Amino acid sequence: MLGLDSGLLYAIFGAALAVLLAGIGSAISVGRVGQAAAGVVSEDPDKFGSTLILQALPGTQGIYGLLVGFLVLQRTGLIGGAPAALTVEQGLAFFFACLPIAIGGMVSAFAQGKTAISGVHLVAKRPEESGKAIIFAVMVETYAVLSLLMSILTLFGIQV
Amino acid sequence: MSIAKMSKVTLLAHQTDKKKILELLQQSGVLEISDITEQLATEEELAGLLKQDDEQEAMQEVEKSMAEVRYSLDFLDRYHRVNKGLLDDLLAEKKALTITEVKQKVPQWAELSRKVYQTLKAVDEQLLALRNEETHLLNLQKQLLPWEKLPLALEEIKDSRKVRLELGTVPVSQLPVLHEQLQEDEVAYYLEEVDSKRGEAFIFLASYIADDELVQNALKQVNFNRHLLPRLTGTAAENLAKVEQQLLELEKTREQLLAQIEAQVQYREILYCYNDYLTVQQDRNQSVELLGRTDSTFLLEGWVPTAEVDRLRQKILAVSDSIEISVREPYEGEDFPVQLENKPFFTPYEFVTNLYGAPNPYGVDPTAPFTPFFIIFFGLCLTDAGYGVVLMLLSALGLKKVKGESVRNLLKILFACGISTVVFGWLVGGWFGYPLFGAPLLFDALNDPMRLLVYSLALGLLHIFWGMAVKFITLIKEGEIFAALADVGLWYGLIIGLLLLALPGTAGLGKNLALVSAIGLVLTQGRSQPTLIKKFFSGLLSLYDITGYFSDLLSYSRLLALGLATGVVSLTVNTMADLLKGHPIGYIAIAVLLLGGHTFNLAINALGSFIHSARLQYIEFYNRFYEGGGRAFKPFRFKTQHIEILSEETQGN
Repeated sequence: MLGLDSGLLYAIFGAALAVLLAGIGSAISVGRVGQAAAGVVSEDPDKFGSTLILQALPGTQGIYGLLVGFLVLQRTGLIGGAPAALTVEQGLAFFFACLPIAIGGMVSAFAQGKTAISGVHLVAKRPEESGKAIIFAVMVETYAVLSLLMSILTLFGIQV
Repeated sequence: MSIAKMSKVTLLAHQTDKKKILELLQQSGVLEISDITEQLATEEELAGLLKQDDEQEAMQEVEKSMAEVRYSLDFLDRYHRVNKGLLDDLLAEKKALTITEVKQKVPQWAELSRKVYQTLKAVDEQLLALRNEETHLLNLQKQLLPWEKLPLALEEIKDSRKVRLELGTVPVSQLPVLHEQLQEDEVAYYLEEVDSKRGEAFIFLASYIADDELVQNALKQVNFNRHLLPRLTGTAAENLAKVEQQLLELEKTREQLLAQIEAQVQYREILYCYNDYLTVQQDRNQSVELLGRTDSTFLLEGWVPTAEVDRLRQKILAVSDSIEISVREPYEGEDFPVQLENKPFFTPYEFVTNLYGAPNPYGVDPTAPFTPFFIIFFGLCLTDAGYGVVLMLLSALGLKKVKGESVRNLLKILFACGISTVVFGWLVGGWFGYPLFGAPLLFDALNDPMRLLVYSLALGLLHIFWGMAVKFITLIKEGEIFAALADVGLWYGLIIGLLLLALPGTAGLGKNLALVSAIGLVLTQGRSQPTLIKKFFSGLLSLYDITGYFSDLLSYSRLLALGLATGVVSLTVNTMADLLKGHPIGYIAIAVLLLGGHTFNLAINALGSFIHSARLQYIEFYNRFYEGGGRAFKPFRFKTQHIEILSEETQGN
C-alpha cells in the first residue's frame, strides 16, 4: 500500500523489533530499579546520585535497540534518501541482523535490572561501596554490548 | 607506582599525657591505631592491672551534646528545608579554622547550641500542644456547624421534668413520614427543622416524656440519628464564632513559633561546625578503647607510613620526655594497611583502584600501569571530538570551583579522558556527529567498523601483554627468574606464536614458536604438584587457560561497540534535526533537539565509557597480575564535613 517491496517490509519489521524488544526490556528494568531506588531515597535523600546511576544502567539496551533500528532505516534509505528496492532475501537479512540486539538486549536488560536492584540494596546498606554495585551491573552489560556489536557488524555487511 | 611502606609504632606513656598525644595524632592524621586490648588481655602478667571504660563520662557528655545538635539540625531541616542543588554540595567550601581558633570558639558554640536546642525543644512542645488544641477545636467546629441556626442556647438543651428534647438528623424524605406518624399517634410535639444538608434534615423535637415510647418508635422508623452536643454555654452560633476566634489565635501563635524557628536558622552553620567538633571528640574518645590502659599508663600501637615515622616521633617526644616509642618493620607476611603512593599525575586514578578495593600489601599497585590505558579506552568508547571538548571545558570549570579533594580527582580524570576523546574523535569519529573539520584523520569508524574492531582488539592485546609484563617485572624483582620465564614468558611465546600462525608468511615460525611454548607450559605449569603424573596433567590442563586469554581479548570489542553507539546516537539526533529543517518553528525545535539529544548522549555514554574502561582494568588487566585482599589505610584523623581544621606546626602547648 505504501509501494514498498516485501523485502523492505521485513527490514522494517526487524528494525521495529529491535527498538521494541530492547526498549521493553529497558523500560521495565529501569522502572523496577527506580522503584527500589525511590524506597532507598525516601530513607536517605543523599543516596539519589548513586542510585540514579544504577537506574540508568539497564536503560542502555533501549538505546542500543534504537541505534540498530536507526541503522536499518538508514541503510535501507528510509531516512535521508529513497527507499531501496530490497529483495526478500536482503530484507530477511536485515531482519535477522536485528535479532541479536532485540532479544539479547531485552534479556540482558532484565538481568541487569535485577542486578541493579540488588545494587540499590547494597548502596542502602553501604553507601561507600556504590562503585562495586555499579561494576556488578556492568558485568551484565557486556552481553548487551556483544549483541549490539553482532547486529551492527551484520548490518554493515549486508550489500544493498 | 607503589604501595607505601608501613612501620608499626608502639608508644608507652603516662595517662596524664594521653589527651595531648591523642590530639596530636588525630591532628597529624598519619597513624592508624590498632586494637591491642585483645592481645593484652591474654598476657597473664597484666591481669588485674588493665582497666576499662575510663572515658565513659566524657563519652556520654559528648554524645549528649551531639544528640542535641543533631536534634536541632533535624528540626531546622524539617521546618526550613534548604533546597540544595546537585552541585551545591560539591561547590561548598569548608570553613578553614586553626585548632586554636576552634578551641576558642567551642565554649561559645556549646552555649549557643544549648540555647538553640532549648528554644527548639520548647517550640516543638508548644507546636505539639498547639496541634492537639487545634484538633480539638476542629472537632468541635465539625460538631456544631450543622446546628449553627439553632436558636437555643446549648445549656438549655436538656430534658425538663415533663418535656423531653431530641436533637438529630433524619433523611429529608422521611420528615413528612415522621409528622404523619406523630399525628397518627396523637402525640403533642413541637418539631423544628433547623437546617438541611446533603439530604439530611437537622431537627429539633420536643415532646412530653409521657409520650416518649411512641415518639421513640416513630423516630426509629424514620432512621433518626441522635446528636449529642457538647455542654457549652451560649448558642451554637456563638460558640462557633468563639472557636473561629480561637483558631485564628492558634494560627497566630503558630506563626510566632515558626518565626522563632526561623530566627534559629541563622545558627545552622555554627551547629554544623559544633557537630564537626563533637565528631572529632567522639572519635578521640572511641580511640581510647583501642589502647591498653592501666591506672597511670597507656599503651598505643598503630601503623604509620615509614616516611612519616621520624616526623611523628619528634612531634610526640615534644609533648613530654616520659614517653617510650618503639618502631619496627612489619614481620614477614604480616598484613599491614595499604596506602597507595603515586606521582601527582597518577594520584587521581587511585580513585579507580580504590573502587575495586585495595591491593594486597605485598602485591603491586596497579594504578600507574593502567592509567594510560584507562584514558585511551575512555576516548575510544566516546569517540566524538565535540564531546571531548565539552568534557574538557566542564571539568576545567569544575576544577576552578570545586574544593573537595575526591571530586577534584574525578574531574582531573575526566579532563585527561576529554583530551583522549578529542584525539580519537578526530581520528575516527566526528564533532557532535558532524564532520566539522572534514573527514576523520584516519578513517570513519561508521564506514569501516571492521578496521576499528581490529584496532580495538590489537589495543586489547597490548593491554593484556602489558599486564603480563607487570607480572614479569614483579617476578624478576622478587628474584623468581624461572617463574617469570615459565609463567609469563612461555605464554607470551604461545600467544605470539598463535598470532603469527594466523598471518601468511610467518605461519611456519608461528607454528614452531607456539609448539615449543605449549610444550614448555605443559612441562612447567604443574611444577608445584607432588607426583610426576599430577605434574603432567596439571601442566596439560594449564593450556586450557588459553580460552581465558581469548575471551578476555574479545571483551575489548566493546571499545568499538560503545564508540559506534555514541556515533550512531549523535547521527540519529542530527538526522532528526535535519528532518525539521524548513518548518516555521523549526529552528527553535532544532536547537532544543540538538542540545537535549547531545547532552543526553554525552551523559549516558560518558558514564558508560568510564565504567567500561574501569571494567577492562578490573577483569581483563587485573587478571594478569593483580592480588587483592588488602585493607585500605585509615589513619586516625579529623573527620569533619563543614570545617577544615588547619594544623599549626608552631603550636606552643
